Amino acid sequence: MWSRKVKVNSYFWCLFLSVGFSTVAVNYVFEPTTKKKQVSHHLVLRSGTAVLSRVGRSRPIRVLNRLTIVMSDSSHYRPTAAEYRRFDLLAVYPTTEKLFHAACMTYDVDIICISVTEKLPFFFKRAPVNGAIERGVAFEVSYSAAIRDATMRRYTIANAIALVDTCKGKNVIVSSAAEKRLELRGPHDAANLSLLFGLSDADAKEAVSSTCRSVVLHAERRKSAGGIIHTTKTSPEETPPTPDDRTSTANHKHPVWNKTDMIGP
Amino acid sequence: MCADLERIPRTLLVSERSSFQNQKNQLSAHVGQHHFNYKVSVLLPECGSAPPLLDAALNGFSSFYLIRNLPVYMLLDQDFLQTAVHQGSVYGLSFGCRVDEDPCVALMPNGRLVLSLDKDSFELLGFERKKYRFTKRATSRYVVSVNFSDSSMTPGGRGYQRLLTGLKTHLPLVVDFLVSHHPGGTTALQPLLSRYDWSEHRPSVSTRCLANLPCPLLTSDLQSCDPHSVLDWLGAVDADVSCENSSSSFLSTMVCPEPKTTASSALNVSVSGFLNPHEIHHLIQELRSYLDQSQLASWVALTVHGFTDSPVSWAGDERSVLWSGNTFYSLLLFKDDTYQLHLATGAHHTCPP
Repeated sequence: MWSRKVKVNSYFWCLFLSVGFSTVAVNYVFEPTTKKKQVSHHLVLRSGTAVLSRVGRSRPIRVLNRLTIVMSDSSHYRPTAAEYRRFDLLAVYPTTEKLFHAACMTYDVDIICISVTEKLPFFFKRAPVNGAIERGVAFEVSYSAAIRDATMRRYTIANAIALVDTCKGKNVIVSSAAEKRLELRGPHDAANLSLLFGLSDADAKEAVSSTCRSVVLHAERRKSAGGIIHTTKTSPEETPPTPDDRTSTANHKHPVWNKTDMIGP
Repeated sequence: MCADLERIPRTLLVSERSSFQNQKNQLSAHVGQHHFNYKVSVLLPECGSAPPLLDAALNGFSSFYLIRNLPVYMLLDQDFLQTAVHQGSVYGLSFGCRVDEDPCVALMPNGRLVLSLDKDSFELLGFERKKYRFTKRATSRYVVSVNFSDSSMTPGGRGYQRLLTGLKTHLPLVVDFLVSHHPGGTTALQPLLSRYDWSEHRPSVSTRCLANLPCPLLTSDLQSCDPHSVLDWLGAVDADVSCENSSSSFLSTMVCPEPKTTASSALNVSVSGFLNPHEIHHLIQELRSYLDQSQLASWVALTVHGFTDSPVSWAGDERSVLWSGNTFYSLLLFKDDTYQLHLATGAHHTCPP
């Protein structure tokens, strides 16, 4: 299930538009094994589909590529791996307390995923959670498992409540991790669901909007070496931008305030 | 530890009962303070067709204009301020913008311009803001409110220049803008209409004749029926939702509030667009005349809905962006010249006056 691909086509974008999202991150979950240690390069969405016009709205939908690394060992996260740079967002899913602590305190990632399909293998502690919050790393709770199965619904709610109790509702994002269309919910529905996790009204709204924006900004900062170096993607047919164009591109790449969702593989 | 499941978004409902004979009744003020009206629904029990004067009032709402890609700094144009804002009443609202996502603009008839901005836009604009009331962490929405009647906002004034520079240079906002003017119309809006792509729109009117409609027995005192039940029922009638609660249908379990009667015929008229409070007030007067002359009807109902994405709530006050929902009010008129007014808004909005 982790490595299954989903065909993302125009129907999906219309679906996201119709429910109210303006930014979507297409997620690829990678679980390193002894045979497979590198992320396949063809899984990144082409830049041509990155910006799509929105019917009835002037602002196009924004599509991001995200990589989630399932970590059961500290060697699974390689900070200097070149293939990570192809993805806009980088997330890790730690499976042990030690890896969770390392992800919160040291790993240069954007999102830390919380288990929602099983009982938490460890307890959340305030020190690493607060450390992650200070570094701008967000914790993700996905709700599609809760839609699929009643047992997983209990785990999702219990684990999310434990997280919110520790982090006081800060830096929490709620995403779908949807593998099918029927598992997708609108941003207001996701925010309503967040109330069950113990988030306040404002935190629940932020979990689908401003915190996601912060994650995207964090990713841009991470990729640009703290905002010093800025890179622009160009297709082979386009000429490299002039210094003036690069400046205007930098201005236009300033993230907008929007509702963000992340779908699974 | 457990989530507080009892803490759910609430709604606000303010009910008022008064008479048109009472000099101090606040109906005109309430109608006038609800600046941005999207839809007016009228329910006339025991009525097959509207009389001519009422029909003229329902079809007589004035046109409004949609200006495409209007730079917001043009709302500070001196000609526009002189011909439209300072003379008569101009109503303007950004169109196609989501209030919790996009920058939204509202121009109110009292000469107040409200910009509801996100963090990035606000920081680019470089203008002072009001403190957001609905969350302790003011990171979600920033409201900039200026009054053109203030001395600092007169053309050439310090605040005016600063806002103009901000909107022209730092934050060149461009929105689709719904605008109407009372009583000037196109003439008063010429400074804007002459420069940008615009289209004129008439409010759309839809009429439904309902037969054998179960109606609650409404009386002028507030004890006859629970206001929430009455509003639910009015909404069900307007949305054409069945209130029979039949066992064969699982779509609707709504019922008409008790005690109830059956109206042999009823007329439901909806007018939607960008509606003027002055014309809604005129419609209310026509409904009063109709009720005086009608032999069968003992009450009529009028419901006015606001815009979901309006950046202002009642009387131009700030609204919350945490949850969706618009403001609306329902007016029940009775034969004895009394009325019941129910003012409602969503969770976290400013309480109706």
